[in-house]
Amino acid sequence: MTIFLRELKRNRKGFVIWTLCLVLSNVGMMLMYPTFADQSEEYQELMKKFPKEMLEGLGMDKLNFAQILDYFAYIFLYIMLFGAAYAMILGVSIISREENEKTIEFLLAKPVTRNGIITQKIMAVLFYITLFNFIFGVVDFITFEAIKKSDYSMETFMLLHTGFYLLQLTFAAVGLLISVFVTKAKAVYPIAFGAVLGTFFINIASAISDKLANLKYLTPFKYVNPSNIVDKSLIEIEYLAIIFIVIALSVILTYVFYNRKNISV
Amino acid sequence: MNAIETKNLTKYYGKSRGIIDVNLEVKEGDVFGFIGPNGAGKSTTIRTLLGFIFPDSGKASIFGMDCLKEQAKIKMNVGYLPSEVSYYDDMTVKELLLYSAKFYKKDCSNRINELSEILELDLNKKIDSLSYGNKKKVAVIQSLLHEPKLLILDEPTGGLDPLMQNRFFEILKEENRKGATIFFSSHILSEVQKMCNRVAIVKDGKILKVETIDKLRGEKHRKVMVELKNKDDILAVPGMRNPERNGNNLQFLYSGDINDLLKKLALMEIDNLWLEEPSLEEIFMHYYESKITNALTEFCDR
Repeated sequence: MTIFLRELKRNRKGFVIWTLCLVLSNVGMMLMYPTFADQSEEYQELMKKFPKEMLEGLGMDKLNFAQILDYFAYIFLYIMLFGAAYAMILGVSIISREENEKTIEFLLAKPVTRNGIITQKIMAVLFYITLFNFIFGVVDFITFEAIKKSDYSMETFMLLHTGFYLLQLTFAAVGLLISVFVTKAKAVYPIAFGAVLGTFFINIASAISDKLANLKYLTPFKYVNPSNIVDKSLIEIEYLAIIFIVIALSVILTYVFYNRKNISV
Repeated sequence: MNAIETKNLTKYYGKSRGIIDVNLEVKEGDVFGFIGPNGAGKSTTIRTLLGFIFPDSGKASIFGMDCLKEQAKIKMNVGYLPSEVSYYDDMTVKELLLYSAKFYKKDCSNRINELSEILELDLNKKIDSLSYGNKKKVAVIQSLLHEPKLLILDEPTGGLDPLMQNRFFEILKEENRKGATIFFSSHILSEVQKMCNRVAIVKDGKILKVETIDKLRGEKHRKVMVELKNKDDILAVPGMRNPERNGNNLQFLYSGDINDLLKKLALMEIDNLWLEEPSLEEIFMHYYESKITNALTEFCDR
């Protein structure tokens, strides 16, 4: 518990900033929904002028901005992008920070196992990502209720947010694994944004080009793509399977490699 | 039971040498010096004992517990003072020490106050704002606050001023009196001599010798430099080692009776005289000179 509580305190500031930024951006963009909905036919006309591939790539081809969920799905993709970056930064930095700041010798000299260190740090990441999603979901629900023009599917709403949660967990887990090997602080942001933006554009590329369609398995943004979820009202089982395997494997390997690692700073 | 025991402990970093076949036995209650030049393998040995790194072969145990398997248990009774101190710079001294104490699940606040008073450390300062010496004090308190049965000190006096060093040694003596075993790694012979009852000398990753400090003391070495007035004068006293002659200057290690030397010198005209504590390297050269220097010394002795 000692390390867990310490990590909560240490990462609190970052959590507050990221949560505020993302929740407020989301609310801000949602508040524009009534305007969009009133003029949705004109937008629909405008959209037809864009190349079809581009709309597909951005997941806008199936969306009808008159519907609140469709509108939300469109902006949610960008919220997801930054949410994933936050989760990955958290994952990449939480273990490696001790080595980068050379505090790991202090920690390893305490009566705690390496497994104990990893477990408590993972719990802290899990705690903040869960809390983030809870706050984001509740605020989003309140916003929806305040501005909706007609009823929407609660199931789809929940699925979209579950998708976001799973996306963040995936990036955080992969980040944990990477941080066993890359411990320099200056590598944290390039890795996190590189991975998140990279997979984000793979998602777009796989939607645009048939030749690149199979790339979709490489990107979590495809697994929980908001416009797909709104369209089909489900997260496909094969994608769910990949997500769980990636998370489980990353976490297990983090334990395995960290236990074998020679740590000298 | 031994506080520390290693058997043929070997560690390479890739191809470069860390330590080779280190065998140590540190008895409970000992103050054990671990001395050698930089890069000799002192820190590698300590890091292996503490489970930061894993040996390629050999075994190590602390209080009979295997260093590979029972690290968490071992650490309940071990205090570690690193040579280079880095702490969480968002914390104050007090926060760090209380954080440290939490791991041992006991109330250490009295001990923290007591030690910080002795070392004159302000508990309310941010770690970030501390000087190197003050950070070292934090490390000292941090290693002692849970009253460990074994203290592992890696070049502990760096950064402490002489006054604080003395207080630190007093604290160590008190801990030892209460039964703590102390493993004292250093490259400074004099501080090891002051503290320890047994000493292991390491060089190039190997233990060269384990000696009692009394024996080292018995053979007190002096580095002697004499500037002779007359360059044809010859100085020969039993106990001279590795003499080097350069014109009027004569330099050698001396382990004999200092009175004999002075009497001889009194018979000569000299311009200048230096008597110094030899550096560790020079002691090594004397103790463990290779065959070539052995032969040279014998030649010179004749």
